[in-house]
Amino acid sequence: MGCCRMRMIRAIIRPEAVDRVADNLEAGGFTALTRIEVFGRGKQKGIKVGDMVYDNLPKTMLMMVVDDDKLEGAVKIIEDSARTGNIGDGKIFISAVEEAYTIRTGARGL
Amino acid sequence: MKEVLAIIQMNKMEATKNALDVIGIPAITAYKVTGRGKQKGLQIPHPTPSTSSSSLEPSSQKRMSYIPKRMISVMVEDEFVPAVVAVITKVNRTGNYGDGRIFVCPVDESVRIRTGERGNEAIT
Repeated sequence: MGCCRMRMIRAIIRPEAVDRVADNLEAGGFTALTRIEVFGRGKQKGIKVGDMVYDNLPKTMLMMVVDDDKLEGAVKIIEDSARTGNIGDGKIFISAVEEAYTIRTGARGL
Repeated sequence: MKEVLAIIQMNKMEATKNALDVIGIPAITAYKVTGRGKQKGLQIPHPTPSTSSSSLEPSSQKRMSYIPKRMISVMVEDEFVPAVVAVITKVNRTGNYGDGRIFVCPVDESVRIRTGERGNEAIT
């Protein structure tokens, strides 16, 4: 079991960008993904509208695990399809995954 | 310390929690998630493991792209990882597509907020 042959990508993106990102990922060969509705804020401390500060902005987190050599490709697709150029486009985090199992078969790996 | 992340069928939550409790790991965090795997969501007609892979071609319109699932996160000491994986696999395996996936990820540190304990003490 070599270390870090797989990586987890967690991308926190605009909810309205999800379909675009997911479609492009699928076209790029990354079908499997998990989406989680989350709330958060970034460096800009949320958005301020008049006197109201909104600092729990709804976002969607896409979670996927890919083999190391496909990492760059997947990140590129997410980046390019989630970018609008405005504040709040989101962030992508990458972390290590040591083992993966398919429950149906018990097989290791993706 | 490791995090065992398992994405499982919604209706297996109770059984999974009970089974983990039995082996002495009652502490879990659960998320409501949606997602899809290699089969590209729920196809209509739904493929079975016995059908050949060629029948998995996307029938673009007739499918449900995101299937509701539960994701559970279990933080355990390294030596418990095989047991947790085995238990989750055993409880959740039906042999059909959609049984789910388990990921094991490294965790650097944990803190029990009430007492300030760190590391393995915080998760036992």
